[in-house]
Amino acid sequence: MHTLRAFWIRLRGLIGARRNEEDFAAELASHVEMHTDDGIRAGLSPEEARRQALICLGGAEQTRQAYRERRGLPWLESLFRDFGYALRTLGKHRGATAAAILSIGLGIGANATIFSMVNRFLLRPAPMGDPTTLLALQTTHDGDECCNNFSFPVYTDIRDQAQSFSGVAAYFELIPASITGSGEPERVFGQAVTANFFQVTELPMVLGRGFVTGEESASEVVLGAGLWQRRFNADKEIVGKTVTISGHVFTVIGVVTPAFHSVEQILGTEFWVPLGSASQLATDLPFQASRGDHWLAVVGRLKPGVTRAQAAAELNTLAQRFALANPKTDQGNRFSFDQAGTMPPHERRGLVLFLAALTVVVLLVLAIAGANVANLLFAQAASRQRDMAVRLALGATRARLQRQMLTESLLLGLGGGVLGVVLSLWATRALSALHLPAPVPLDLRISVDWRVLLFALALSVLSGLLLGVAPAWAASRPLLANALKGEDALARPGRRISLRNFLVVAQVAMSVVLLSITGLFLRSLQSAAKIDIGFRSKGLLMMSVDPRVHGYTAPRTVEFLSLFQQRVAALPGVVSASATDRTPLSSTTRSEDLHAAGVADKDKHDVNAELFMVTPGYFETMGIPRIAGQDFGGETATGPKTAVVNRAFAERVFGGAIPIGWQVTNGRTTYEIIGVVGNVKARSLGEETRPVLYRSLQQSIANDSSFLGYTLVVHTSGNPAAIAQAVRSQVHALDPAMAIFNEETMEEHMRTAFFLPHLAATLFGTFGFIGLVLAAVGLYGVMSYAVSRRTREIGIRMAMGARPGTVERLVLRQGMALTLIAVILGWPAAWMLSRLASSFLYGIQPHDTMTFAVVPLFLASIAFVACWIPARRAASIDPMRALRTE
Amino acid sequence: MGEKTDVWQGTLALMALRTLESMGPLHGYGLARRIEQISGDRLQLNYGTLYPALLKLEQEGFIRSSWGLSDNNRRAKYYELTKAGERQVKKAAAEWEQTTAILARFLTPAEEA
Repeated sequence: MHTLRAFWIRLRGLIGARRNEEDFAAELASHVEMHTDDGIRAGLSPEEARRQALICLGGAEQTRQAYRERRGLPWLESLFRDFGYALRTLGKHRGATAAAILSIGLGIGANATIFSMVNRFLLRPAPMGDPTTLLALQTTHDGDECCNNFSFPVYTDIRDQAQSFSGVAAYFELIPASITGSGEPERVFGQAVTANFFQVTELPMVLGRGFVTGEESASEVVLGAGLWQRRFNADKEIVGKTVTISGHVFTVIGVVTPAFHSVEQILGTEFWVPLGSASQLATDLPFQASRGDHWLAVVGRLKPGVTRAQAAAELNTLAQRFALANPKTDQGNRFSFDQAGTMPPHERRGLVLFLAALTVVVLLVLAIAGANVANLLFAQAASRQRDMAVRLALGATRARLQRQMLTESLLLGLGGGVLGVVLSLWATRALSALHLPAPVPLDLRISVDWRVLLFALALSVLSGLLLGVAPAWAASRPLLANALKGEDALARPGRRISLRNFLVVAQVAMSVVLLSITGLFLRSLQSAAKIDIGFRSKGLLMMSVDPRVHGYTAPRTVEFLSLFQQRVAALPGVVSASATDRTPLSSTTRSEDLHAAGVADKDKHDVNAELFMVTPGYFETMGIPRIAGQDFGGETATGPKTAVVNRAFAERVFGGAIPIGWQVTNGRTTYEIIGVVGNVKARSLGEETRPVLYRSLQQSIANDSSFLGYTLVVHTSGNPAAIAQAVRSQVHALDPAMAIFNEETMEEHMRTAFFLPHLAATLFGTFGFIGLVLAAVGLYGVMSYAVSRRTREIGIRMAMGARPGTVERLVLRQGMALTLIAVILGWPAAWMLSRLASSFLYGIQPHDTMTFAVVPLFLASIAFVACWIPARRAASIDPMRALRTE
Repeated sequence: MGEKTDVWQGTLALMALRTLESMGPLHGYGLARRIEQISGDRLQLNYGTLYPALLKLEQEGFIRSSWGLSDNNRRAKYYELTKAGERQVKKAAAEWEQTTAILARFLTPAEEA
């Protein structure tokens, strides 16, 4: 307490030091005078009395110094002085300082951006109470890899019997719905949850409350904060009001925290209704009493004090008990769990790999930037050696000088950190705006939070210190005699491999790795752009509706779509229009095993074919070439089922024959093939060509309706975006309440489809470019420094008769030798690391010959230019002037 | 035991506090002389070390200072004990007594044990 008070006063003592100084001087003077008075009284001469008084005091100046040290905080004062001095020094070398801060800033910005992705997807816990005690449960079946959901009876059995949990909740993960109210209707996704869901997850609420026991089938809804702000203007009085979801009225009882959008933090769901009232919104939910339908995700909250091992053991026992009681459905089932809020393990793996590759790359960028700055500091240390030597000669300690230098590099690091955070703020915003190709709503926004800030701070302090250590050490021990004479005092005689050369070799070697990875991704983008997608990529407008969430039956949906198709086709500027259940390249999957009908069992082999539902005119609209047979037309819901297949299907099932009139079957439904069309990329750009079977939308919609709605594709003669408004108004003319979603032109859709190769190429391309520039600058800096240091030597050589060309070659040879060593070191490392990237490449091998041949040559030519400039300067040295300097 | 002893670390503060307690307000020089007198001139006090010690006590809130006039009509800075200082004297004295008592047990001849 008193110590703290003293510390505070000393801290304040730093200010107003001068007044205190005068006060103390007066006190000392009065002390000496009183002592002198006593001395005179005791019979001494005034001079002798004063001398004695001063001796007893032990030196006025020493006393003053001791007093000063006690009054303030000397270490803090000298720290301030160091900072002030460092700021002045850095301010004096503005260019070098800016270059250093920019280098470190780029490095830290890149690292902070990637770390914010790591933080978002791997580290940040969901806002659900104590995250370590909330477990996401899965069913695993013997022999299957991973994981399945739960049926309702299995869930209730676990909820009622498991003693390890204080509560177990279940939820259905994705319900598409349309929400109406003010403005145009909008399609949103929600979840259906058990009444105890909000108690188990302990979700914080912005307004109102979550469901409680007894509300299992209540017509109540909890809104997500985003939906509440977007659709309801963040209405503070919304609790108790009603909203209409897919035509059904729900009472709002609460708004959940903005940080929550789904338990696993990936899906972007925006409302929650009780499981018992979900059937109003989704008519085809599995039967609740069925033990074999696995449709519910389950989370459990561990009781305090129960370990995960105990919970695992109990779930094991329960699984065995369930298997005995219900052998038909539960035999071979086990339960496993992960911490809730993390991605399931098999989805996690790809992401971890991607982030690991990125982390390697950004660390390389930072290391290259760091090597640059260290070199810069070395150069500065060299130019300040006389200053240092003088201070040493005057009695400053080495430690004091080192601290001074470290303060400077620390300031550089912190400056770079601030710049880096600003850069990453911008980068995370740009990345969050990207749209991932996925049929379901995803919330993948990343942001800079306190963890990222802490990471950036730690990284900038660490890099500031690391970069400064070697230059500070070198600068604090100049060869005193040389330095004071004005000669180079840092270059130790007889040492050929300097630290600076080592740094530049490391730097160039790292750029070889970085550039190779960048090259791979650029090549991958190039080869992705060449992929033949098989359909028109321009002049198409797409717009989706989901009549089912508006209560439409199958026949009404067909009627709606065909009316819509007719009306849109009649619009000016429209060539043709058609409807489908899924657009290609949307990462949707809908496939079935099919084989030729009527062949002997031993000849039949199944192919897994992609299924599309289309209306007549689809192939013309999409620009898919029709090869043989005919298009759909005149099919009825009850007539014999017809199908059009693509060329790959015909090849795989019928050996390349044109199979018009043949039949294929999945064992339940048989289709007669009426046409063959060209191949398309069905799910994603990178896929091998898949067999595709097109069915008639009219015939299939009743017993196999689409979960994600239907898309109208419009082929226009002009700019497709221009007629969007006209097409929308046709939808609302047919049904004003119909929500429209996924409105986009095919160009926009293609950009989305190129998301992954594009993102990878952009990220790696940016980092690769930064790394290359930094390394080139570093090489240039080292060679310039070498030339300036050897000015006199070069002058002598030229005075002795060396020609400019010889001198130029001398410098070039030195620089290119460093480059060669670096390439020899970096190339194998790049070769090995490229495997990390293999799963993200389109159409090229990780050991792509082109990349690995071009990168070293490219880098060598950049290095050549970086060395050539200082070499020219060396060659233009005037021997007379060179010898006269210094 | 005729030689003069240096002041042990940390004891100067207690001596100063104790002296101020018994003598009332004193200026720095007077305090220094007083400490020497009380020790029977057996302590060799470097007067200069007294002032940082007084500053520390003041920063800790045990004493306060103000300018006044000495007996000989000289301006001098006077130090006096605060309430916290009075408490501190008792506490520190008790601690010191305990320390010396323990040390005494080590130094007294063994037969008493």
